[in-house]
Amino acid sequence: MNFLSLIGVEFKKIHRSKILLILLAATVVLWILAILNADLNFKMQTEGIGISPENNFLIQGFLGMTWFMYPASMVVSTVLLTQTERGNKGILKMLALPINTLKLCLAKFTILLALGATQILMMTGMYFISAAIATQTQHYHFMLSPLFVLKEAGLVYLSSIPMLAFFWMTAVCIQTPIFSMGIGLASIVPSVLIINTKAWFSYPMSYPFYVITSEYGKLASNLSAGDIKLVPWIPVAIAFTCLCLTISCLFFGQNERR
Amino acid sequence: MNILLECKKMKKTGFYPAFIAGAILASCLPVINMAVRSELFTGLQQSPLRILLDENWTMMAMLNVLLIISGACIMYHTEYADNAAQKMQTLPIRESGIFFAKFILMIGMSIVVLATEAITFLFCSLHWFHTYDGLYTDLLKNFGYFFILLLPVVLLSLAISSAYSNMWISLGIGVVCVFAATMIASTNHFVLQIFPFALPLQVLTEATDKTVSQFLTASVLELLVIGIAELSFLRIRRALV
Repeated sequence: MNFLSLIGVEFKKIHRSKILLILLAATVVLWILAILNADLNFKMQTEGIGISPENNFLIQGFLGMTWFMYPASMVVSTVLLTQTERGNKGILKMLALPINTLKLCLAKFTILLALGATQILMMTGMYFISAAIATQTQHYHFMLSPLFVLKEAGLVYLSSIPMLAFFWMTAVCIQTPIFSMGIGLASIVPSVLIINTKAWFSYPMSYPFYVITSEYGKLASNLSAGDIKLVPWIPVAIAFTCLCLTISCLFFGQNERR
Repeated sequence: MNILLECKKMKKTGFYPAFIAGAILASCLPVINMAVRSELFTGLQQSPLRILLDENWTMMAMLNVLLIISGACIMYHTEYADNAAQKMQTLPIRESGIFFAKFILMIGMSIVVLATEAITFLFCSLHWFHTYDGLYTDLLKNFGYFFILLLPVVLLSLAISSAYSNMWISLGIGVVCVFAATMIASTNHFVLQIFPFALPLQVLTEATDKTVSQFLTASVLELLVIGIAELSFLRIRRALV
């Protein structure tokens, strides 16, 4: 089986999982609360942070997403990817077929990447809808240029790939579901503390959050946030991703084979 | 009897180590915070406990809630994987009995978690601040309050997990609810703040007596409502399936 048809098979497996509904629900909750609090955006301009309301509307939403919602939804997706096949020993049957395990593992990771991309796209789509609604309710033009918004969303997605690789590694290597879930969820929470330190680039779970925070610093005239320095970050991120993927490929199916 | 059975079921799932690890992880937060930036906090005017709670509680409460959600998912995951739940239905046991036995076990574990955190707070205030009269009563009052506000979360997350046989759906719903709770915490609408998953983020030290009693009543009412809803849900499902 070639890689593309494997990915097709994996997509079919999660066809009825309702995961898209959960991903969508998360984005809807985010933007409904953003619309309800839309009037707070005007306060930020006058309170000395110096960010325009329309920029603040986007940034606050994206901060909420990158801080907790997006990583947590990805943890849920890894649970989905590993658990659907444990039921009725589906994974054993897959491993019995003449399929390269490495390809199978990477195909599943590709699905995770696709789910991540889907959620970011949903999120961006919901942003445009909610910006339009907020424009109506607050009588102020909240809509930003689509190019800018898409660029931010793309950056968030790219910076989240090492994090996804880490979540995938924990899901594959740790067989006890409560630990793989627990480690994933618990690793999200400290990123708030870590983005304030100089060693933020050593903690992949904080990358998306850091990207948005530094964008916040750029858009707000009176707020200094850390700049993105590409030099230690990109090599560390690439090395981390490769390491996680290698480990997960090595461990994939090992427990079932014993 | 039932509760002991539930304890045994959880033995090999990593449930107990996970709760202990979660409690230790949450307790690390104030210790690290104080160890790294103690001069920032020791100069403040408020009481030590209040400083510690203001700085750390939101994150610790979030970790507690996440822990409870994943614990609840695991509790029902073991029932649904390999159709154990179906086999339980053939026995002369009520499903609601199983549910409440799980609830009591979970309450026990949350007491362990909260007690660990209370001891950490006591350690932090004794180590970095001076001791003062009423520190112990303050601590007990605060953690009693946290405990009562945590109960609706325990009940609701168990109810969600009992409703879905697929773990990721219950985990997903839980995660979305926690996320909504963190967003709600920054607003000041009482109606939104009594959302069960947002309750544990409340802190006693800042609140007036009136709001405290409001939150306590809300918590008890939610317990009743969720309990009754779950009982009827189990009955209806039993009748339909």
